[in-house]
Amino acid sequence: MLPTGVHFETYAGEARILKTRRATAWLGLLILGLVILPQAVGPYTVGVFTHMFITLMAVYGLYVTVGLGGQINIAQSAFVGVGAFATAKLSGYGLPFWAVIPMAALITGAVSVIFALPAAKVKGFYLALTTLAAQVMFPIVIFALPMDWLGGLVGMAVEPVRLGPITLGSPVHFYYFTLVLVGLLTVAAFNLPRTRFGRSLMAVRDNDVVAEVMGVPVFRTKVMAFFAGSLFAGVAGACTAYFLQFVTVESFTLFASVWYLGMLIVGGAASPVGAILGVVFITAVQEGLHSAATVMLQSGAAGGGMLFALTSIVLGGCILVALIFEPRGLAHRWSVIRTAFQLWPFPRN
Amino acid sequence: MTNLIQILIDGVLVGLVYGLVAISFVVIYRASRIVNLAQGEVLVFGALFLWTFTLGLEHVGAGLPLVVGILLTLAACVVLGLILERFVFRPLIGQPAFAIFMASIALLILLRGLAQLVWTAETRSFPVILPEGAFEIGPFLINTRLFLGALFTVALTFGLHAFFTRSRRGLRLAAVAEDHNTALSLGVSVRGAIAVAWILGAIVATFAAMVLLSGRIVSLEVATIGFKALPVALLGGLESIRGAPLAGILIGVGEALAMAYLDPHTNGAASAVLPFCVMIGVLLIRPQGLFGWKKIERL
Repeated sequence: MLPTGVHFETYAGEARILKTRRATAWLGLLILGLVILPQAVGPYTVGVFTHMFITLMAVYGLYVTVGLGGQINIAQSAFVGVGAFATAKLSGYGLPFWAVIPMAALITGAVSVIFALPAAKVKGFYLALTTLAAQVMFPIVIFALPMDWLGGLVGMAVEPVRLGPITLGSPVHFYYFTLVLVGLLTVAAFNLPRTRFGRSLMAVRDNDVVAEVMGVPVFRTKVMAFFAGSLFAGVAGACTAYFLQFVTVESFTLFASVWYLGMLIVGGAASPVGAILGVVFITAVQEGLHSAATVMLQSGAAGGGMLFALTSIVLGGCILVALIFEPRGLAHRWSVIRTAFQLWPFPRN
Repeated sequence: MTNLIQILIDGVLVGLVYGLVAISFVVIYRASRIVNLAQGEVLVFGALFLWTFTLGLEHVGAGLPLVVGILLTLAACVVLGLILERFVFRPLIGQPAFAIFMASIALLILLRGLAQLVWTAETRSFPVILPEGAFEIGPFLINTRLFLGALFTVALTFGLHAFFTRSRRGLRLAAVAEDHNTALSLGVSVRGAIAVAWILGAIVATFAAMVLLSGRIVSLEVATIGFKALPVALLGGLESIRGAPLAGILIGVGEALAMAYLDPHTNGAASAVLPFCVMIGVLLIRPQGLFGWKKIERL
């Protein structure tokens, strides 16, 4: 829905993502706000935002696989883990980050293709079960491999990012690093639905039998949906590895995968806006619970396991409420509010 | 040779426990077309209920006879199943499989959190329901607890199979498993079917908890048995009650053999990965499992 009085005379104008000058101005303000953020807040908040950007990268990947391609993937966290371990191993050979990150993404994509192969025969939750297998097998395989390959039980240390002579070790530097990366991935995620590949993904999601009849190569598209989604996961994994400067299997659990999917569901899987809103909302809830639990711990009203239990209950509850009451997610709410704002003072369109 | 046969016997007995958990997946699917990933958590809830009504009450000085405790547990499971049906899955009737799948994952997280909040994460001992120890047949040792559990699994399989294929109600449930919307338009109560599914699923999971945990330790980690039983249910065919114990035996034996002969060379990973490799293999070669329904799609 466009604001009153806006109309297009060219197709290019119609096809733009930012349709009005006002939208461009808002985006500019957002970017400016994010750039000056580290000057305004403490290191803890900068860390939270960095973590949020990395999560957003992984959720963009899920948006491609689940939202666009309609293939359920509950192994995103394992794929992020593959990216992280690939980064740890590659940067251990002394490669620079601009070579490591694309290679980690490609390795992650290659691994995900193995688990996408059953897509030739099955769909829906049967396919989801193969990703579940990927998630469960990931730590077992890492533990079983020899220690000097991927660190086994101990994990691996990762060198910080080096940009020429500068080391991006400090939180603020790394914040800008992830900001640039997440910006690039945002452009990719917003433009993907407009490409030929994006349209074939949506055709397969809506009805794969019809898509096959229309000439979309369904099997290849399904496998590519996993591959493309895992490229995002690989970049997220590389950032996680550089951020924590240490990778262990503990960081990449089924639980994290469910968090990612939960964020996408709560936000709304139909557009990348949903990914952004979901990540921001769930991160805010997590931080709120975190500080509430800290207060409760200090006052002695709760035990240490409470925080984990409470976050589980809140996340599960959020996903259920979103599925039952608002299957289109926060993105739908957002567009309703935006439309009302743009149409004001007229009550409805 | 003796050694190999002993491994096979152990594999069969453990496999039948997997089969029992897999049956709890199958009864839910067979009556409602929901694959409930939270089945491991339901099992843990069953176990924790039983602990509460037996040892938990004893701790506060209000001990009950074991039979009463078990009956109370089953009643609590029925209530749990009905709550899940009413508040989670009834609103989702007619929704795509993706929504239902996600709901079961959300339930997994929610139940895990609830269990930790109510019972805390500490481990506790489980009452002895089946006799401990082992008996000998010739040179072979057989675990009494697992043997009785295996007999129970076989009996339950025949009973449930008769219910689902012979009784009028059971056949109606099959219509719901075929398709929610079609079943509704034919006048079959989908709500009723889902309620039956969850009651059966919770009860079978509790039985599985009794066989698995009798005289052992309960912790929230026990829920991972759900992920082990999922490949079993898939191999047997999600619609087939009789397929579940059979697939359980296959995977149990495979696991026992892998544990004995492959684990020493792979740091113990072979037996843990095996069920999931089987799962991917099944999906690649024969997605409907050994005895599942083959679905044909037409345009």
